[in-house]
Amino acid sequence: MMPAAMTCGELAEAVTTYLDGALPPEERDRFEAHRQRCPHCETHVAQVRLTVSALGRLRPSAGEHPSAGSERILELFRTRGLHRPGPRVRDIPLGVGTELAAPGDHIAYFWESEREFDATAGFLAAGVSLGQACVLVGHDAAHERLLASLERRGLSVPALIQERQLQIASVRSSADGQLLELDERIKDAVDRGMPAVRILGNLNWGRGTAGWPSDREILRLEAQVTSAAARLPCIVVCVYDVTSLPGPLLVKGGLECHPLTFRRDCLRLNEHHVPPARFLEELSAG
Amino acid sequence: MSLEESALVDALRRGDEDAFARLVEEHHPSLRRVARLYVANTAIVDEVVQDTWLGVIRGIWAFEGRSSLKTWIFRILVNRARTRAVRESRDARSLGPEEPLPFSDSSDLGHWVQPSPDPDPSPEQALLTKELRGRLATVIDTLPPNMKIVLWLRDVEGWSSDDVCNALAIQETNQRVLLHRARSRAQEALEPYLEGARGAARRG
Repeated sequence: MMPAAMTCGELAEAVTTYLDGALPPEERDRFEAHRQRCPHCETHVAQVRLTVSALGRLRPSAGEHPSAGSERILELFRTRGLHRPGPRVRDIPLGVGTELAAPGDHIAYFWESEREFDATAGFLAAGVSLGQACVLVGHDAAHERLLASLERRGLSVPALIQERQLQIASVRSSADGQLLELDERIKDAVDRGMPAVRILGNLNWGRGTAGWPSDREILRLEAQVTSAAARLPCIVVCVYDVTSLPGPLLVKGGLECHPLTFRRDCLRLNEHHVPPARFLEELSAG
Repeated sequence: MSLEESALVDALRRGDEDAFARLVEEHHPSLRRVARLYVANTAIVDEVVQDTWLGVIRGIWAFEGRSSLKTWIFRILVNRARTRAVRESRDARSLGPEEPLPFSDSSDLGHWVQPSPDPDPSPEQALLTKELRGRLATVIDTLPPNMKIVLWLRDVEGWSSDDVCNALAIQETNQRVLLHRARSRAQEALEPYLEGARGAARRG
């Protein structure tokens, strides 16, 4: 049986798909059959083509206007490229205090008061306002407080989670598993066009919980994050509770694994930082 | 990722300035045009585009080629431009007067769109009067954001359906619905000119 003839209304609806060459063969045949015997629709298709062609003429052809600002962009490549050794330009608002961060930063954040803990939500809020992705990793109780603080700052947490601008990463019991998880989150966010990723770690909070990384794995993770972050568009802040964590974790994890520390509203270069290779070697020997 | 593209990504990671300059030359003008669909102020357009390149410079290390380099660069732009547009609309009073789209003001035409002189104008070129461009610009200006960006990338920039879906992270059917509606609006605005050109189009 012959398929029913296409109506003028159906043709008008199908014209964009037709011009894209995306109609199934049978539909295309019906489309063309109708067009051939309907001068009105033939004109309609011609007019759509003319409209598309007129739109295409809005684009200036190459060389007709200068690429304003491209010299400045090349300068950025020279000075901000992550291929470049040496210190990075610190120009990204950290969101805590008035400090500025650079991509690849791995910061230990030492807190005592509730105010100091809640201030870490500012790190996330600043990321959100810059269109960056924020990834939380750690204990649910820490996340609840952070998300409540974001809501108090006027941000809609459900909307941010929906847009995947705010993500909660799974906690892995091994350092390698956790690194892979974070790497995947960063690559996914970058692929989706996020200019950078902020990671806020509250792994210390859940110590002793089933399935949680041991202190040793946390140290292995911390040492490796420094080199992993160095070539990625991410800023990592690890939160250390000064009042309740054991000394060895504060000193080895907090002080020795982070090139930068944040304390008393100030970001500081950390001279106690131990190069990751040496740290890991000593950790496996000890 | 194609071999050619993965070689380019490697070059960018090594800090190859010539490779980066070619990339900028290729995409910078259209990045500026697309940014203008979201933010009106020229200074902010340039900031958005600059932030986009900074995102490319830094993000190239995490770029895995799930999409082409071109569509990835435009994803960064669209993400950045949307965020910025929200901020600008919240804080509109801090801005100077809004600037029109590249060609909605005839005084701007000379700078942005230079019609090439043609001794034997085709029906399409007969359509290309300043007035017609002004009409198209007005229509584009009043389209909802999603329709605007799809129409612009497909018909002004001449992108494929796949590239547009990829850059905007939308489904093909959705993209086609948006394009269809936007084209219909553009066509309505051109109706008087198209009527005149009908005879020529049918002969051609």
